[in-house]
Amino acid sequence: MAFVELSQLSKSYGKLTVVDRVSLSIEKGALVCLLGPSGCGKTTTLRLVAGFVDPTGGEIRVGGRVLSAPDVTTPPERRNMSMIFQSYALWPHMTVFENVAYGLSIRGLSKADIKTRVDNILSVAKLSPLAERYPSELSGGQQQRVSLARALVVEPETLLLDEPLSNLDANLREEMRFEIRRLHDQYRYTTIYVTHDQAEAMTTADVIVVMNQGRIEQAGSAEDIYKRPRSEFVARFIGGTNILKGRRSGDQAVDWGGIKLTCGDGEFAAADETAVSIRHHDIRIATNAPVDGLNWAPGAVSRQVFLGSHRDYLIDLSNGETVRAVAPPDVAIPKGQPVWLQFPPEHCRALAQ
Amino acid sequence: MTVAIERTLPVRRFAFDWSKPVFISLVLVLGGLVLLPLFWLAYYSVLAKDGSLSLENFRALVTDPTLRKPYAIAMGMALATGALSCLIATPLAWLTARTDLPGRGVVRAFVTASFVTPPFLGAIAWEILAAPNSGILNEIYRWAFGLEQYEYLFDIYTFEGLVFALSCYTFPYVFTLVANALDRVPTDLEEASAMLGGGVWTTLRKVTLPLVLPAMLAGGLVAILQALTMFGTPAILALPAGFHVITTKIWSLFQYPPKPGLAAASALPLLLITVFLIWAQAKIIGRRGYTTVGGKSGAARITPLGRYRWAAVAFVTVVLSITVIMPYLALLKTAVTRTVSEPLTWSSFTLHHVNFVLFEFSATRLALQNTLVLGVMTATAGTAIALLVSYLVARRSVAGASLLGYLATAPVAIPGIVLGVGLFLSYSSPPFMLYGTIWILFIAFLTIEMPAGYQQLSSAFKSIHPELEEASRILGATRMMALRQITAPLLRTSVVATWCFVFIGTIRELSATILLTTAETKLVSVIIYDLNESGDLGAISVLGLLLLGVSFAIVLLANRLPVLGGRRITALR
Repeated sequence: MAFVELSQLSKSYGKLTVVDRVSLSIEKGALVCLLGPSGCGKTTTLRLVAGFVDPTGGEIRVGGRVLSAPDVTTPPERRNMSMIFQSYALWPHMTVFENVAYGLSIRGLSKADIKTRVDNILSVAKLSPLAERYPSELSGGQQQRVSLARALVVEPETLLLDEPLSNLDANLREEMRFEIRRLHDQYRYTTIYVTHDQAEAMTTADVIVVMNQGRIEQAGSAEDIYKRPRSEFVARFIGGTNILKGRRSGDQAVDWGGIKLTCGDGEFAAADETAVSIRHHDIRIATNAPVDGLNWAPGAVSRQVFLGSHRDYLIDLSNGETVRAVAPPDVAIPKGQPVWLQFPPEHCRALAQ
Repeated sequence: MTVAIERTLPVRRFAFDWSKPVFISLVLVLGGLVLLPLFWLAYYSVLAKDGSLSLENFRALVTDPTLRKPYAIAMGMALATGALSCLIATPLAWLTARTDLPGRGVVRAFVTASFVTPPFLGAIAWEILAAPNSGILNEIYRWAFGLEQYEYLFDIYTFEGLVFALSCYTFPYVFTLVANALDRVPTDLEEASAMLGGGVWTTLRKVTLPLVLPAMLAGGLVAILQALTMFGTPAILALPAGFHVITTKIWSLFQYPPKPGLAAASALPLLLITVFLIWAQAKIIGRRGYTTVGGKSGAARITPLGRYRWAAVAFVTVVLSITVIMPYLALLKTAVTRTVSEPLTWSSFTLHHVNFVLFEFSATRLALQNTLVLGVMTATAGTAIALLVSYLVARRSVAGASLLGYLATAPVAIPGIVLGVGLFLSYSSPPFMLYGTIWILFIAFLTIEMPAGYQQLSSAFKSIHPELEEASRILGATRMMALRQITAPLLRTSVVATWCFVFIGTIRELSATILLTTAETKLVSVIIYDLNESGDLGAISVLGLLLLGVSFAIVLLANRLPVLGGRRITALR
């Protein structure tokens, strides 16, 4: 049964609607990622769940209890949640130990009990030797772990993370992604994770929710979202893709400026206009004219870059369009040379929107 | 999607939300502080002697040369002061911020010292130094050249003397703004010029100076504003010279027989001018990207002075001697010798003045007590109000909170003497009969210090990330707990600093005080002014040094705050 439920949740500031009728059910113990570009409403959604923002419409239920609705809002302190902030929000006037112990002392635990629990979580987070340090004396990664420990030590029902890794450098970020997933597997809190980084979402999440302009574009597993995007926005946002805009011609095909593309997958738009998405690496490049097969188009190389693991091509097609494709590094075709491209039907996905 | 069937009762927020009532009372208090005196000012200015509404006061303002002239002189004086301040402060700031001048820290310390000095005290010090007859410098001049008693080198009781004494006090404003701007000019802009072949001087002339020009202009405007609205210095130097500036003229309109209507009408144009100056200054400073070109491009580029080093040292020494060192020495010397002109020797040394001021002169004790009580009250109430206002504005917890910010900043454009007139008119008749009590002074100081207090605390709030409070809320703390356990400890340093700042501001105020004080409510600043009228410079020096001592002690205290303000306050960014 769903543990955290958002139904028709909306938030507007004056005329500006930041979150627009978002409905989402999150299973107990699941890790859900809200993924989207900045300004898509993901952080506001998280702050609505935390209770820092009151909704203008819809409601939030946790464990069947309404926590947020336009007329009644439970304040953040009575939601039994924890949050990890983008800035970490460690209190500079408290030591690591005091920071982590804060939530426990508010809950009125005994001194001895607090010490045991804090020591325990600090050792899990590999922070024991730093207990008496102040936050300003820690590195970014250490601060991040203190922030995690502080959030987890109170054993929340729900854990919220707001772009927790965006202040770390690239290497550390990659390491911490797996660390967050490991801790989640260990403690199994219901977790909502906000990020704009698709790799982060794909590493950590059970369910990825792609948001755009305050609305949910698509929700599903990482594989689902990548392989079966339902909209142009999702296709573009997750992984590189070519969006080919044409008109529907026949049952399974799209006429793309004179090139007929048969699509093995997806939904066609009801009207004439239909877009087709094909990933860069799914396009095949050949230097000889094709003997058989569907979806071939002639063109010429307009740019070619060697990137170590692959070569990146920009190809001008005979219908005046330009597509991007990648090929293995040993396939080196000089600029200007005529080529043939195949868009394999099983990789061509029609997009309804 | 499943529909939740069991719906337990939602938890209501039963904690009472204080932000609305607090907001409304703050709007009323600040609105009262700012708008009430302005309203009465406007009302009295259009009130004729027979009680009907007319423009006769304004007509007098235009036609009466004894009113028109002070305005003209004041404008000339203010512009000259602004120009002289820029002329002194800009090279000083550049030498301090951007060259290998020895003792740069000392320069900054001395400039801070001249900031702390009450301007009227500086004027009196220059009286001691450069009055035509008794001035120490003139004595030395006569002694050195064996001249007659009527000969003199300097006369401070002139327009030029006045501009000079004002500039000694106003140049730190320009210095601080320009030095800060120079600290912030990104090095790479200068390096880019050097890369293109610009030499040290070309780079300075074509890149660095144009970049700090807005800061210099803004500082110049502050200097003009200060000079225009100041009462103490012109009252001490211009009145003996036989001319009025606008502030002293307004004050004289309150002498017997009082002409409040005319005073109100004369105050209004001054208010308009200051509003305009503040607006112009905000415009110049506000063009960010130009003045406060942000950037972490390493440390500022230091220009080696080479063979000009000693010329620079000489320049700095002269400027600091004139503005800070000589006036202080003059006060010290006068405090312990019987007359001003007497040289300081073992035989002329006396504690007479100290004894007189502290034990014999009956008014001192009351004035000291009033000053202290008012200082503490204003600092405490002002800091408290500024704290609440900046919290509401920074956290936007109430709709329309920014209105409070505007109200708290508005008094910055009201000159002390104008506020004095307004408050006198507001509180010298029923229903609010406060004239003659210290409460009217309390209201005046609270209004005058509100912008500075609010500015300090709102920037303190801006440096505390709201997420620090939210982190405490989500872990189970109520709003009040979060404020007490997280925000309050982090703000402690700024709060104490603001308190000290307001305290120093109040104990040196004279422009509004002079109209609102009575025999029962004398303050140290007023006593100093009164003693100056009776020529008792020795007693003034003792009181002045006392005032300075207290101010410096508090500044030092405020600077040492990490001791008071708890542990590591380095905010995490």
